[in-house]
Amino acid sequence: MENKVLEILQRVRSDIDYSKEKSMMTDGVLDSFDVVGIITELADEFDIEITIDDMTEENFDSLEAICAMVARIQDED
Amino acid sequence: MSYVSIEFLLFILGIALIYYIVPKRFQWVILLIASYGFYLSSGVAQLAFIVTTTIVTYFSGRLMQSRRDDYKAELKKLGDKVTKDQKKEMKKEVGKKIKKIQVATVLFHLLVLAVIKYTNFAIGNINTILNVVKEGAALKPLDILVPLGISFYTFQSIGYIIDIGRGKYKAEQNLGRLALFISFFPSVVQGPINRYDDLGAQLKAEHKFDYTKFKFGAQLMLWGFFKKMVIADRAAPFVGEVFSSNYQDYSGSVYFVGMLMYAVQIYCDFSGGIDIARGAAQMLGIDLPLNFERPYFSESMADYWRRWHISLGAWMREYVFYPVMLSKPVTKISKFFRKKGKAKIAKLVPTVITPFVVFFLIGIWHGASWQYVAFGLYNATVVAGGVALQDVFKKGIEVFKINTENFSWKLFRIIRTFFISGGSKILVSAPSLTAALYMFKKIFTDFDLDFVFGLDGQLFELGIDKKNMFVLFVCVLVLLVVSILQENGIRLRETIAKQNIVFRWSIYIIALIVVLVFGIYGPAYDSASFIYEQY
Repeated sequence: MENKVLEILQRVRSDIDYSKEKSMMTDGVLDSFDVVGIITELADEFDIEITIDDMTEENFDSLEAICAMVARIQDED
Repeated sequence: MSYVSIEFLLFILGIALIYYIVPKRFQWVILLIASYGFYLSSGVAQLAFIVTTTIVTYFSGRLMQSRRDDYKAELKKLGDKVTKDQKKEMKKEVGKKIKKIQVATVLFHLLVLAVIKYTNFAIGNINTILNVVKEGAALKPLDILVPLGISFYTFQSIGYIIDIGRGKYKAEQNLGRLALFISFFPSVVQGPINRYDDLGAQLKAEHKFDYTKFKFGAQLMLWGFFKKMVIADRAAPFVGEVFSSNYQDYSGSVYFVGMLMYAVQIYCDFSGGIDIARGAAQMLGIDLPLNFERPYFSESMADYWRRWHISLGAWMREYVFYPVMLSKPVTKISKFFRKKGKAKIAKLVPTVITPFVVFFLIGIWHGASWQYVAFGLYNATVVAGGVALQDVFKKGIEVFKINTENFSWKLFRIIRTFFISGGSKILVSAPSLTAALYMFKKIFTDFDLDFVFGLDGQLFELGIDKKNMFVLFVCVLVLLVVSILQENGIRLRETIAKQNIVFRWSIYIIALIVVLVFGIYGPAYDSASFIYEQY
């Protein structure tokens, strides 16, 4: 899954080193348009519904956090 | 009581003294008494509104919390007996119940705000329509009391309610503590718009007297007084004159300088007020969020809105932008285009629609008039246009082989953004929308450089004489240098604190003298009121 998520992230913003960034949303590295772009692509790729309640900084601060969120939503579904 | 008054200085010093003397567990009570005392000083009738907002917010928050707690307790009781599907169904049920309370409370807050802020705007528009049907027909505007800081504390309360509904944190159990969060006196007049998980926690904590924090708070207040009293209030008469009802008397260059002056005035007025608020809170050991990050150094309008009135932008992003972007209608439109194989349009639709919703709201939040609606649409067009045309701009940069790392390119972007934001400032500072359009036209068709550089002397006949214009120019230069240093990561208060005592205190005393000597004092030694107070 991590590779697929990474692919999506790179598609949305290719200028970020996702192996290093650990607080992408908190520090404003990702702007709001990026976050929504990522969500739409994740929803399509994994066929999951990411709701507004999932839009927390902790869920989008790093590649690992995003993967954990996707896994959790898949599990809940 | 104005933030820029001797009374407020004595008030904050008195409160700080009591605050640090009383047992720490009572500190929040002192702040609550102080906040209500401060609020009462602006009128007894206004208190009814903030008290109602607080009570409704409190009980609604607790009700949502009890629904969630009941669900969790039920789940625990059932233990392994509950299936995954049953769990999902229970979650959905409780979610629905919470949503009902959440939506009803938010609507209540919005309704109160709308009635107070927009009734007379609606009456004005109805009258315009009535006049078309029958000349002379008119409804009388109502004499409505606008409570101090209503837009700010209502937004803060709505944010709290939405967060509780989303399960972000637990509802406050103590009515007094919630009342303090909503009415905290440094930020109740003009923000910043606080989040409960940040300010609420700080107001709960016990605070020891910290000399460095106290000193930095006082310095920040002094810097705020400088911006507000020495710069903003000095520029105010010029802005008032140029954008008055006699606006047709002037050439385009007058409006151009008026726009520059207004840019300086509104920034120094608002950010100066915020510095005073943040400084006062810091003296009490409480950090309020940053509301400005040198917005006039922004390289795009999207960047500008991330640096100007940051707490409103963050509020809009959290409670309007994301929900609209992720709403069913918007995602449906996106999906429709994606299915048709038009991925680019699918991406573009939400990024274009949402800024219009957000900026329309930002516009009418600032004021109930068509000028503010135009202000919102203007900003939305620029921001959405910027996102939509990103690829075209990239191509242009490639074709013209522009080195985007160059300082000159960065400077060009900063100046361009400054003037684009200046355009939106004319829209709201002109006496009417028609006047604003007339001014735009004149700037491009009737421009006189002699006026701009003060060569024909007319520059000094519009509310500010030569001496005051010089003081203003020097002070703006000081502000510019300080901003450049801050932009380059230099933390001035910390840097000054490291200097030797003579140098350090010379700076403090000079700053104080500058404010005392060059500050503009209104009636009864109070400065003019803040522009953002009326929002």
